[in-house]
Amino acid sequence: MMNVEKIRKDFPIFEKKKFIYFDNACMPLRPKVVIDKINEYYTEYPACAGRSYHDFGTRLTDEVANARDLVKKFIGAKKAKEIIFTKNATESINLVANSFKFNSVLTSDREHNSNLLPWQKFDHDVVKSKKDFSFDLESFSDKVKNFDIVSMVHTSNLEGYSLPVKEIIKIAHEQGAKVLLDGAQSVPHKEINVRKLDVDFLAFSGHKMLGPNGVGVLYGKEELLDGMKPFILGGETVSDSTYDSYKLEELPHKFEAGLQNYPGILGLGSAAKYLMKIGRNNIEKHENMLKSKIDIEGVEKIGHVGESGIFNFNIPGKGAHEVAMMLSASKNIMIRSGAHCMHSWFNSRNLEGSARASFYLYNTLEEIDTFVEELEKIKKL
Amino acid sequence: MLCLIAWVVFGILGLFSVKYRVLAKESFDCVFRRITFKKCNSNLDERIKSKLTGNLMKFSPKMARGVYRHYEFLSWIFVALFVVSLVLGAQGAYNLAMYDNCAGPNADPDQCIFTPDYDVVDCDDPLCDDGHCEECGDDCDCEECS
Repeated sequence: MMNVEKIRKDFPIFEKKKFIYFDNACMPLRPKVVIDKINEYYTEYPACAGRSYHDFGTRLTDEVANARDLVKKFIGAKKAKEIIFTKNATESINLVANSFKFNSVLTSDREHNSNLLPWQKFDHDVVKSKKDFSFDLESFSDKVKNFDIVSMVHTSNLEGYSLPVKEIIKIAHEQGAKVLLDGAQSVPHKEINVRKLDVDFLAFSGHKMLGPNGVGVLYGKEELLDGMKPFILGGETVSDSTYDSYKLEELPHKFEAGLQNYPGILGLGSAAKYLMKIGRNNIEKHENMLKSKIDIEGVEKIGHVGESGIFNFNIPGKGAHEVAMMLSASKNIMIRSGAHCMHSWFNSRNLEGSARASFYLYNTLEEIDTFVEELEKIKKL
Repeated sequence: MLCLIAWVVFGILGLFSVKYRVLAKESFDCVFRRITFKKCNSNLDERIKSKLTGNLMKFSPKMARGVYRHYEFLSWIFVALFVVSLVLGAQGAYNLAMYDNCAGPNADPDQCIFTPDYDVVDCDDPLCDDGHCEECGDDCDCEECS
């Protein structure tokens, strides 16, 4: 069982302001350990890693290696060199779309734009959800044999539904397809072990797992990453060059072009360590418990109904933005409204959008009660 | 329809801040669409309505409900009041410029606080020189100075 009151003390913003933050699927708040780590970089060793052999440079090189190792442990990867630092999950997915050799790609019908648009220039198809919005494994099994790669969301940012990825990966591999998982919403909230899953690629963002903005990760199996050519070239990606040729660096550096976001990488390492200490199984249970306490009638639930940490809804007769703004004005409750970067899903169902409340480790039952009370008031308007 | 008022208010505030300039542009777009019988595609009206309702919810859910349900009607009342006060204000400014009396040419000057109150220059006033008032103009009572 988590001690939420103790956890809240790790987040300096709770001491400064009174608010209820339910926009965690977009971006959670940051703990002090992450903020301190970012400050540490700028105040103690603000240099370049991997190329400068002075005190600051070598310290930073060690810190980056340590952060990579923490992320490796965080997702259960075999080797640290399978961890590529990117800008975010979007860039990680684009890296695979532009560097991995394939002709055809299969996605689900509930993809974030980040895992849909990069694939649209290829031979692309989607697996439609069942009537209850769960994943249609049968339809997937029928289709997957015609595709080289499957790129699917692990946990949807719509309502937190998790696809049966173990089965998806097994079936895809049996049919000779590789699998990329968009783990932006799963990695921060549930235990992930890439080796147990046997997933080929995993993309996720730092800013959704208590880490800084502007840093993300692409995990890839070593043999697959080795065979891929980078789609961005520049400093640190090559070990040598002439006027008309170059020799690529080893993994992971060949994919990390230019000066890296060092404070971001270090902060990400700290965030991973912090989440490992608390335990993502505990976080997942806590989020499920919070959502289960939302008992309100006359609210239309969006997407698959089941255990998750995201409550997606519409109040009949009220716009999603209206609801979000009223919650903000009345009790400073922050939720998200709109299409949640899933326009394709909403368009296919002729929906304009929805309101979304997403929970994390620091949210409390009292906050859920206030949220429900305010929704009741809005409903009666 | 509150975007009409918002346009004027934000337009003035926009002279001093970029933030309000953006809002003024947004409200103008909304006004333009409304007067051409199109749906306002910026959500400025919705934002104003939601903020207003949300803030009222803190104090009186009943009042919030009233405002939420009759928002359009209340908006028109505010717009009408705004237009009327704008017309009266313009009329007063015209009268003040033309007749030195914002209440009108034949009205009692005391009704208008902006009516100029000329001081009669005393004959001992050093500004009076040879019966001619240098600063006050013709309305001064300086003929007897000399």
